[in-house]
Amino acid sequence: MEKEFITIHEKETAVRVQNTRVNAVRMKDIVKKGVRVYRDGNIGISGAIGEVPDEVLLENAVQNLGAGISYPYELSGNLKDHRDYGKNRMSGDQLLECAEEILERLRVEYPDFDFNEGILTREVSWHMKNTKGLDLEYKDAYMILALILKEKKSANVIDGFLEYYGRNFDLQKFWAFNAQLLEAYRRRVPLPEGDTLPVLTVEFHELSSFLSRALNGEIYATGGSIFSNKLGQKLFNEKITIDQNMSPVYRAEPFFDMEGVVLKDDRYTLIENGRLVSVYTDKRTADVYKLPHTGAASGDYDGVPSLTWAPIRFAVDSSDIKTALDGKMGILVAVSSGGDFTADGSFAAPVQVGFLFDGEHIIGKLPEFSIRSHLYKMLGEDYIGTFENKDFYFGDSVQLQGYYMTIVR
Amino acid sequence: MYNFPKGLYTDVRIEEIFETKIGFKKDALQEQKVRSNKGAFIRVFDGERWYYSSLTDLSRVQECIDALARMAKPNENIAEHPVVKAFEVNKDRIVQHEKDSVTDIPVTEKQALLEGYLKLLDYPEIVHHTSYYVDNKTIKTIYSSKGTAVTFDKQTCGIRLNLELASSDNKNRDVISKAAIRFDELIGLEDYLKERIEKAIAFVREAVPVEPGIYTVLLSPEAAGVFTHESFGHKSESDFMVGDETMKAEWALGKTIGRELLTIVDDGLVPGNGYVPYDDEGTRGKKTYIVKNGKLTGRLHSAATSAALEEPLTGNARAINFQFEPIVRMTTTYIEKGDRPLKDIIGEIDKGIYVETIRHGSGMSTFTIAPSRAYKIENGKITVPVKVSVITGNVFETLAEVDAVSKEFELLSFVGGGCGKMEQYPLPVGFGGPYTRVRKLKVQ
Repeated sequence: MEKEFITIHEKETAVRVQNTRVNAVRMKDIVKKGVRVYRDGNIGISGAIGEVPDEVLLENAVQNLGAGISYPYELSGNLKDHRDYGKNRMSGDQLLECAEEILERLRVEYPDFDFNEGILTREVSWHMKNTKGLDLEYKDAYMILALILKEKKSANVIDGFLEYYGRNFDLQKFWAFNAQLLEAYRRRVPLPEGDTLPVLTVEFHELSSFLSRALNGEIYATGGSIFSNKLGQKLFNEKITIDQNMSPVYRAEPFFDMEGVVLKDDRYTLIENGRLVSVYTDKRTADVYKLPHTGAASGDYDGVPSLTWAPIRFAVDSSDIKTALDGKMGILVAVSSGGDFTADGSFAAPVQVGFLFDGEHIIGKLPEFSIRSHLYKMLGEDYIGTFENKDFYFGDSVQLQGYYMTIVR
Repeated sequence: MYNFPKGLYTDVRIEEIFETKIGFKKDALQEQKVRSNKGAFIRVFDGERWYYSSLTDLSRVQECIDALARMAKPNENIAEHPVVKAFEVNKDRIVQHEKDSVTDIPVTEKQALLEGYLKLLDYPEIVHHTSYYVDNKTIKTIYSSKGTAVTFDKQTCGIRLNLELASSDNKNRDVISKAAIRFDELIGLEDYLKERIEKAIAFVREAVPVEPGIYTVLLSPEAAGVFTHESFGHKSESDFMVGDETMKAEWALGKTIGRELLTIVDDGLVPGNGYVPYDDEGTRGKKTYIVKNGKLTGRLHSAATSAALEEPLTGNARAINFQFEPIVRMTTTYIEKGDRPLKDIIGEIDKGIYVETIRHGSGMSTFTIAPSRAYKIENGKITVPVKVSVITGNVFETLAEVDAVSKEFELLSFVGGGCGKMEQYPLPVGFGGPYTRVRKLKVQ
């Protein structure tokens, strides 16, 4: 019988903010443990939150073998890879000091706004090891700043956000960007003329979620994906390359999947120069549907590894936003909540907060509007590019992407 | 029980959680998991700042209280602080599920139940499916330095079928879900599930793209529930209002925001996902009329917001689990039923959209509903299925556009998902209502 152990340790200090003042300090220190056993082509699982002895969890996992869950795949093994991405750890005291400093300046210089929610620092470690010689460790430490912005003269619940997510918080950069952003919140500008305008998005969750589902090997192979039967075909603009990207640099998650697979350079190309070259798979999906195995198993720390979704990331294909805008004003989408794609790729979304952007400066805040497009248009003839984000300090690894879209006023 | 430090307010919430998750991919068992965990959340308040901690080793609760107390500044007048004064003191034990506990049902019986329903999914259009049985029984105990000592249990269980559908070039995904309180309520659901499966298949075969525009929209109880939650429910959460004079003026109690027919309720005592006999501060759950006959009559509170706005407690301080502090959240929120038959309400619509099921919703200044299945209404009849990305409306205007509510009424609980409020997602909530007609919404 082979055995596998997963231990996750999360330590967090959070400063809770109400009316631009520290309202509470919260501390968390949680350990989660999962154990898997493998025997005669079956898998047994167990797990717990808290310091439960391994022997107890092993006994439960052996009992779970009785459920008869088939897992006839070779375990990952003979690999030691320990990585620490969180060298710039911020202590709880440093966080509180930093939060007080930011809030003080917001109260003094931006009294026409109110800020709520929180700033936190989190340390995580994941350790996955098994009796086949697998020994993977991922450690990280990062900061999340999420302040709901409310204009005092507005009757809205939320008027926007100040955000940061990353490992190397730089107060100077934070102010250099957010002073510009807050000034833009104060300056109302009209939408430019025209039905179709260049729209810039930062972390377009609806798009990445739709693409991630469409590139799921199981959904692809069974015919439910918009891309089914299109492997090898040109789908998108020549410039577009999309990887299954497991690098913690971009997402503060382990570099290995839940079957302990580590990819070369932490990535696997799925769309190359607009052509669909692969879909993502775990061991089971690769075996059942005869697809390349891409190390994309997900699942709970105490669950059976399975294929649900995988992190995807566009390769940067353009460098200069101003040149790409070609003299036009861009529409920067800051808050767009609730939009979606239909199953055949039509997209529509309200933009609750948008800004006019000239390629270098945020000019002012736009009235609310909606955007509309289709997957194949926005990533085809209407695609502008994916840019390394140098202009907006929302985090260390945020991407900026542009497409022409229909504007609904 | 615990030694609560002098000069501070302290409360302790202990949660004992039992969960089962059984999953199939097509007909193959993918997962059979039974979890039992315990944890505690501790709060200490000195009148200026709160100090929170969560832990899993319950033998360390006292140690943790003492550590938080050392960070706080003792305040001899803490009992007179408005927030501390606002806290109810309750002593109670409401344990309802000793005889019908999901912990007593063998996991093999739960698996057999789900496996039985998989036979209903044998259609060529259902190209893939993942299916789950889940249950959760949580026993909460809350102690406070004011003297509260309450223990209560809450239980839910349910079935969720995630369908991947394809018919020639048309693709779709659909979710069919049914939640209950007792395991035996999940037995014999064949007709309920079959009806929904067949609707999902007809949709993937026949749905056409919607012509974008402004439409009269008829919402099913499920869609009306999400509409109520997103368009108005979040605005009634009063933590958004504390220290905000504009919001207080905009949402002043007594203001007319809808027609006479519109009454909106949040009720923590309704059995199901939103059942909160005591909230996570130990306040008794209540039925709160937030809109009555078109007028704003109340809002949802924790002790802190109740004290700040000088309004009564409503029992709406909730946390997603023992790792988080309670914040103001909805419980079961719905529009009260009207007295008009559904067929009359549909009959008055010449050109409209009927939303039957939804994927998700959101509620900022513009609220959204992303339908899963929607249909055209033509000349008073529900006709062809249509694919809709999103339906939107302005929260300040839309409630006034509700011009009919049916006498048919349903409250619902589902498996999976829930309400999100910043870092705390998902929180189980109940919702539903009557069939509700909204005169003008943007459909895309």
